[in-house]
Amino acid sequence: MSPRRNDTPALPRRELLRGLGALGLVGALAPGSGARAAAPPVADALALALVGAEVHVGDGTVIPSGVVLTEGARITAVGGPELRPPSGAAVVDLKGKILTPGLIAADARVGLIEIDLEPGTRDDSGGEGPIRAAYDAGAAINPRSSLIQVQAIEGITSAAVSPSGGLLSGQVALIDLVYGDRAQMVQRRGVAVRGALGQVIAGSRAATLAKLREVLDDARFLRGRKAAYDRRQTRELAAHPRDLEALFPALDRKVPLTLEAHGEPDIAAAIELAAAEKLRVVILGGTEAWRLRSELAAAKIPVIVYPSQNLPGSLDKLGARLDNAALLSAAGVEVGIACLGDAHNLRNQTQEAGIAVAYGMDWERALTAVTLTIARAYGVDADYGSVAKGKIANLVTWGGDPFEHAHYAEQVYIRGAAIPMVSRQTLLRERYRDLEKIRRRGR
Amino acid sequence: MTSLTRRTRSTASRGGARSPRRAGGLGLGLALAAGLGLGLGGCKRGPAEPPDDPSATAKAATPTKASADAARAQAAVEVPVVLLRGGRVMTATGEILERGDVLLEGGAIKAVGASVDAPSGAQIVDVSGKTVTPGIIDTHSHMGVYASPGFKAHADGNEAVAPNTAYVRSGDGYWPQDPQLERARAGGVTTAQILPGSANLIGGRSVTVRLLPYARSIDDARFPGAPAGLKMACGENPKRVYGEKSGPQTRMGNVAGYRDAFQKAVEYKRSWAKYEKAKARWEKGDARGGGAPLTLGGAGKGDEQEPDPPARDFGLETLVGVLDGEILVHNHCYRADEMSLMLDLAATYGFTIRSFHHAVEAYKIADRLAAAGTAASVWADWWGFKAEAFDGVRENAALLEAAGARPIIHSDSGLGIQRLNQEAAKAMYAGRDAGIEISEDTALRWITQNPAWALGIDDRTGTLEVGKLADVVVWSGSPFSVYAKAERVYIAGELVFERGVSEPRSDFEVGFTDGDIDGAAKGVTP
Repeated sequence: MSPRRNDTPALPRRELLRGLGALGLVGALAPGSGARAAAPPVADALALALVGAEVHVGDGTVIPSGVVLTEGARITAVGGPELRPPSGAAVVDLKGKILTPGLIAADARVGLIEIDLEPGTRDDSGGEGPIRAAYDAGAAINPRSSLIQVQAIEGITSAAVSPSGGLLSGQVALIDLVYGDRAQMVQRRGVAVRGALGQVIAGSRAATLAKLREVLDDARFLRGRKAAYDRRQTRELAAHPRDLEALFPALDRKVPLTLEAHGEPDIAAAIELAAAEKLRVVILGGTEAWRLRSELAAAKIPVIVYPSQNLPGSLDKLGARLDNAALLSAAGVEVGIACLGDAHNLRNQTQEAGIAVAYGMDWERALTAVTLTIARAYGVDADYGSVAKGKIANLVTWGGDPFEHAHYAEQVYIRGAAIPMVSRQTLLRERYRDLEKIRRRGR
Repeated sequence: MTSLTRRTRSTASRGGARSPRRAGGLGLGLALAAGLGLGLGGCKRGPAEPPDDPSATAKAATPTKASADAARAQAAVEVPVVLLRGGRVMTATGEILERGDVLLEGGAIKAVGASVDAPSGAQIVDVSGKTVTPGIIDTHSHMGVYASPGFKAHADGNEAVAPNTAYVRSGDGYWPQDPQLERARAGGVTTAQILPGSANLIGGRSVTVRLLPYARSIDDARFPGAPAGLKMACGENPKRVYGEKSGPQTRMGNVAGYRDAFQKAVEYKRSWAKYEKAKARWEKGDARGGGAPLTLGGAGKGDEQEPDPPARDFGLETLVGVLDGEILVHNHCYRADEMSLMLDLAATYGFTIRSFHHAVEAYKIADRLAAAGTAASVWADWWGFKAEAFDGVRENAALLEAAGARPIIHSDSGLGIQRLNQEAAKAMYAGRDAGIEISEDTALRWITQNPAWALGIDDRTGTLEVGKLADVVVWSGSPFSVYAKAERVYIAGELVFERGVSEPRSDFEVGFTDGDIDGAAKGVTP
């Protein structure tokens, strides 16, 4: 069943749909249930059969009338109408709806920042020095942050949570936006190392690159010499050994080095670095990446862009343009789209994708850009990024084009469970919806 | 990568623009002062009129001059007669024509209707399948005073030297070559209020500009005859900027600062009234031919010195302009409790706050805002970047509308201003999603008619109505779609932007744009 707004028009859609998973499991919607009650716990993820939606898989394919089966946290089968729900599965009728993979935020600070200007609410930065590669953002993530549900109810189901600052900011954690459940939320720590090119060291791009090479050299040097280092029998190192050790997985190409870079010189340097150091580099931002699109395509370096950011805000962004994503995509570069560096409004990732489409990007590629490309960039595409058998059941239903403002997410499933479509914001809205009630209390 | 610095900066503001200083309103102010027990005695009324600000350009000094300026500006560009034929016409007056025509003539809207005859010689533009709206208006911009690139040298928006700098004017810091202006125009924006930042309790005067290309100075950009605004700021920013200096350090200090400023304005006004009275008596004495000595120690021209005017203070003069209702107050204020305090303070001193800005918590006092007739300029979804922005809800504008208040979607951002139509869309659909019925016309008014009202120019722009300025946008489709683009933008009948054909840019970008140096970009982007 699919509770819709016109089932009980007096109630707002998000509240109506809250706890749909649980409702789906019992197969009935109690009249008026849900709207005013306290948020229920996330429904136990059992077996779901999501039937009849137009499924946009995330890899470019579309199933006009799809069936998606889940069991526990995983997708067990994806197909057309021929796919029969197993007995015991809760069937959700999604005829007329669109089903997509959950969106994945990249280079996000959600869980690390509550209020930007309040240092006491921030854990996104691991200190003063430029080399903080060992700083593990995953250790600091707050599963009860008010930001979690604000993003989740709009279709953001996972995030690559990254620290910020310095030349090497630290370790990236992949989270699922499961409010209040730390074990379920922090899925993998150390999926990538995050850094930034530009004028980080001594106000110089060249000095920044030199330092990065030095650190990578010393990380290699340290390997196998740890005992010697501990006996002080090695030369001075460019960084603390913990930070150098934290780079080993990147040196082994097990995880990517995600680098914020905007200007053509920095992007060219990132391409050279990837080749010379044999690293898996992902470019974040890439304001002028379009100028080097052939080189990026040849080097198979993914670029995650922030399409709306078209101002020439600094000298390395004078080439900012709204069709960056389209140009890169047409040249064969793997393009991701995200609200990079954001925490509070990661939910606008759909709008960012829409802007990329408005300026020339293919629609299905834009969907891939907010799902599968980001999963690939962070090396988690075996489990994330598309509606495919065996992957985590992070799914979103929409009433229409997800990039259009007209369509907010109708129901979000994370790890196979329908989440409560409630956030601190929707609760505040309801609290002040009827000002007359407050006035009657004499205020 | 976030625009935190911009937000932070916007948290701090100051403003300034010329404002025609004129007589009037004194009686009200004095009556009010008397009501406050200020003991003004017999001094009941008088034409306290400090002279025009000599630093204001002469041509902008009075409304008459401003009108002449407008005429000059409009005469400078010959605008053709244009018939926009067959589009979906959203008038922002409550009416939407599913298929209609709009005639632009002499810089104004000449006709709007289902079918309008083209005068001979009119340029007919087929806009079928497209949407025609009024030009978008932003009540809150720092374009020109916080330009892009964000060079240190471009930081001209906060005169953060003292918590009250009512004496400065944003127009004096405005750089008309800011590349943000070109991008805003491409987003269908025709008019914007340029405010000082929010570092100060009282930041200074604002200026309302039209986004005309090729403006070489603020006077080329001014919206003719628009009143100045006064930028005020509540909350965290002044505290943060001055907390470790001379203060204010707390919200208590903030409010004490506003009271002090307006009390001084009342007294300044009184001193001018006294002077005018004495001068009038002195002149009367002269008229009587050296006649009887009167009061105030003065006498007729015949035997006493002409009374000296009080020392002129441009900051207090600005605040007197507020007391007189000639300068409109734009108050950066996030929290419901602070907005309530400010409404009370304004009522005490007899002025009104035209609009709160960044009013993240406006939905909590929508009833009070409606009663006070104060607009609320809000974002669709910005929240959480500081404590006072923590209680943001997507339905802010919709809840305000439902309560009969006057919501406005503003940007405070060189990015957001490029897609105010989309921000309005988000706020509209969020409201609908929550069961609050918001019509497309209503949501359009959030970015046209309502901001025009807040800026005091709603008699000239903000809707598609006969007689208003031909500030018009033709969109590729519904302006509430993420895919919509402004295709043609008219300001006072002048086609200032035509997508893919004529996209004027600033001096700054000349030579930096691909194709400039090798000549490959011939003529497409002037």
